[in-house]
Amino acid sequence: MQPRSEFPAHPSPSNAAPMSPQPAAPVAATRRSKTGVQWLFQNVVWLWLAALIVIFGVLNPFFFTLSNLQNVLVQATVLGLLALAVSLPLMVAEIDLSIASNMGFSAAIGAIVTTRLGLSPAIGVPVGIAAATAIGFFNGLCVTRLRMVSLIQTLAVMIVLQGSLLAVTQGNTISDMPNLYIWIGQTTIGNWPVMPVVFLVALLGMGFLLRKTVLGRSLYATGGNALAANSAGIRVNRVKIIAFTLSGLLSGVAGYLLAAWQMAITSDQGEGFLLYAIAAPIIGGVSVFGGRGGAAGILGGVLLLTVIHVGLAITEVPSFYVQMIGGILIFIAVAVDAIRVNFVSQ
Amino acid sequence: MADSSNTEYILRTHNLVKRYKNVVALDHVSINIRRSTIHGLLGENGAGKSTLVSLISGLTAPTEGTITFAGEQVQGFDVKQMEALGVFLVTQEPMIVESMSVADNLMLGHWPVKRGLMRRVDQRALMANAVAALEGTGLDPRMPARTLSAVAKRKLNILRALHSGGKLLILDEPTAALTLADREHLFGFMRSLKAQGVSFVFISHYNEEILGICDAVSVLRNGRLAGEMDDISSINSDSLSELVIGRDVPLFYRDRATRHDHATSEGWQVEGLVAPNIAVDNFTIAPGEIVGFAGLPGSGAKEFGLSLFGLNRAKQGHITHDNQRYGFAQHPEDAFARGIAYLSDDRHRDGLVGLQSIAQNITLSSLSKVSRGGVIDASAEKQVVKRYFDHLRVKAVTPNVLLGTLSGGNQQKVCLGRVLATEPKLLILDEPTRGIDVGVKEEVHRIIDALTREGLSVIVITSDLDEMVRMVDRVCIFVGGQIEQEFTGADIDKDAILQAAFGTALAH
Repeated sequence: MQPRSEFPAHPSPSNAAPMSPQPAAPVAATRRSKTGVQWLFQNVVWLWLAALIVIFGVLNPFFFTLSNLQNVLVQATVLGLLALAVSLPLMVAEIDLSIASNMGFSAAIGAIVTTRLGLSPAIGVPVGIAAATAIGFFNGLCVTRLRMVSLIQTLAVMIVLQGSLLAVTQGNTISDMPNLYIWIGQTTIGNWPVMPVVFLVALLGMGFLLRKTVLGRSLYATGGNALAANSAGIRVNRVKIIAFTLSGLLSGVAGYLLAAWQMAITSDQGEGFLLYAIAAPIIGGVSVFGGRGGAAGILGGVLLLTVIHVGLAITEVPSFYVQMIGGILIFIAVAVDAIRVNFVSQ
Repeated sequence: MADSSNTEYILRTHNLVKRYKNVVALDHVSINIRRSTIHGLLGENGAGKSTLVSLISGLTAPTEGTITFAGEQVQGFDVKQMEALGVFLVTQEPMIVESMSVADNLMLGHWPVKRGLMRRVDQRALMANAVAALEGTGLDPRMPARTLSAVAKRKLNILRALHSGGKLLILDEPTAALTLADREHLFGFMRSLKAQGVSFVFISHYNEEILGICDAVSVLRNGRLAGEMDDISSINSDSLSELVIGRDVPLFYRDRATRHDHATSEGWQVEGLVAPNIAVDNFTIAPGEIVGFAGLPGSGAKEFGLSLFGLNRAKQGHITHDNQRYGFAQHPEDAFARGIAYLSDDRHRDGLVGLQSIAQNITLSSLSKVSRGGVIDASAEKQVVKRYFDHLRVKAVTPNVLLGTLSGGNQQKVCLGRVLATEPKLLILDEPTRGIDVGVKEEVHRIIDALTREGLSVIVITSDLDEMVRMVDRVCIFVGGQIEQEFTGADIDKDAILQAAFGTALAH
């Protein structure tokens, strides 16, 4: 990933600058114009997002209404939490494929504790989220202590959890949750849904974590160069376990919100979210090789995917074409991001 | 130089100019490489060596100027074309597929194929070719490439280029990360190929190496040709350094007489260490002392340093410092907490995070010092960063630049800044000046020397004997996992260290 050769095909002007004293001023000018293009590329998610909003709005003016904005925010909440959950392992150059199935399974655990055991949601919901967190912790242990490859290990856990959900639900849909349980997914304050607040809090928390804390710095360093991070005194394994555990926690919260919003848990709850949850942060600039990405970019990726999803639903595109067009739009976003990365690293 | 016969020079460049937008990376450079010679290419990082090499090897096209190969002007610039002529670039990083055999690597991508649509590899022909090509080189074609030593991998890279028709090989710092003995081995190999008619361009930061192996040398500075020596014997190390940086570099010599004047602490004592590949009964280092470690790979010199730092887990033994006794660190975090820091010999592997900024790298090992309750105190961090950024005179626009974009010497300074920011009392430096240019090297020596005046104890593990002799107060020779011999003061002598540590004298 990092070219180590001393022979870059195109040495950047900033590298060459210190050696030649005379052309200092032109160099500065070049740098400024390059920064301009770089800025454009860095924010390409937002430009792409704005363009799509305009296009969908022109196709169907309903897209510009307040109630549609509220709809987008609600739709973005579950995907957003999952995208944050995916980002943490990605940050340390690992991946967790079990998050979506973890979301469905842990929500079922929480709901069953409430509905069948008759306990208060105040107990059932934390139990479900705790189960999700424990699964994340377990994944972290497998990847660090047993040195399992996260791609395959979490894939196996994903299948186990999908199967477990089917086993616990016996193929039925759980739908008799009490009002307290579904409150978060159904309540509105002055027409504004409450649910997106959870995503907002999680997003701000993630931003704070990554930018301001020792743990955030350690995540970036571990993903950027794990050996160097270890030699620098960072407990790399501990950092990875924390990343997986937090990822599990976020999946659990997402699972609860999805159940509360849908007022139901199907026997394949959460399936279909995984690939979008992985695509969103990558579109938003999180590197699959670790060490790169931020909360703002993840938000951009999540909103972009949600706008595509909602936009296609309301623009009367025949339903047989929706998935195909959605896929193409995502493809374009990923391609533009690849161009951006090539450009920036040049 | 007047045009002489076509056969005398294998490759010549004529007034090569390379501009990147407004920056002139190479300014009218003409060099002449004679057949069957080793031609040194010297210059600081950023002097234009890389650009010149990319032009010669066809990676990029010049803005102006021409190249002639064996008397014929090269038309068009393209790697494939230059390789067809016989010009090959052999980079620092051995390009080897570790999971394949030596024979497979030798013909990577050009394996002999059996007739038919399936393009099955003709294993028998492959082996026969490989056996013939590797005869007398000491490489076994059947060996998996992953089992090769560092020097054997470099030889394999060179052989691969030759096998593909290489006549002029450009070796980019081929001695990086090689031990002294391996270096000599590689040089012997190059000399024997030279005798068979192969020509080399040899890039190195070490004057000693250039003087030891090259027939001629070209020195670049600020994109211009600063000097060209057709006969290497007409120049010495000091005048070579002067050509490289354009002024007289005063070499640093440590003043050994005036150091023992602070007795604030008793220093460090190591007792009964047992760890993989190392067993040391007793070792002490005084405050302000610089001790050099020398030895072959596996002799324990490096392992001892790693054990102190927690990267080579000790099974037994303890350290005493300031009347406190601890076991050995089991993780670098413990070591830093006790005031022991280590600077890696391979910064790309485990020294730096290229994706993070200079500032973030500087505080990476001292985050606990600039944070409260796990939250980083931005102003405290800024202060630490500014201190080391300025003190080490890192050449960058701001500390927010990504570390990966800096030159090698500046990256090394940042790595040094990172370990110094932990405010260590015992600093272990593993090949601290490897692959950095002369000016920065002397700067690093002076910085280390100044720190010892404030009581810092330093262990230097180095195979650069020149550095050893000028820098340290005492030398420990490691053989077979133990300290075999020590030299102090006036007894510190290159030949004596060489003899004791490597058992052989360097052939010059």
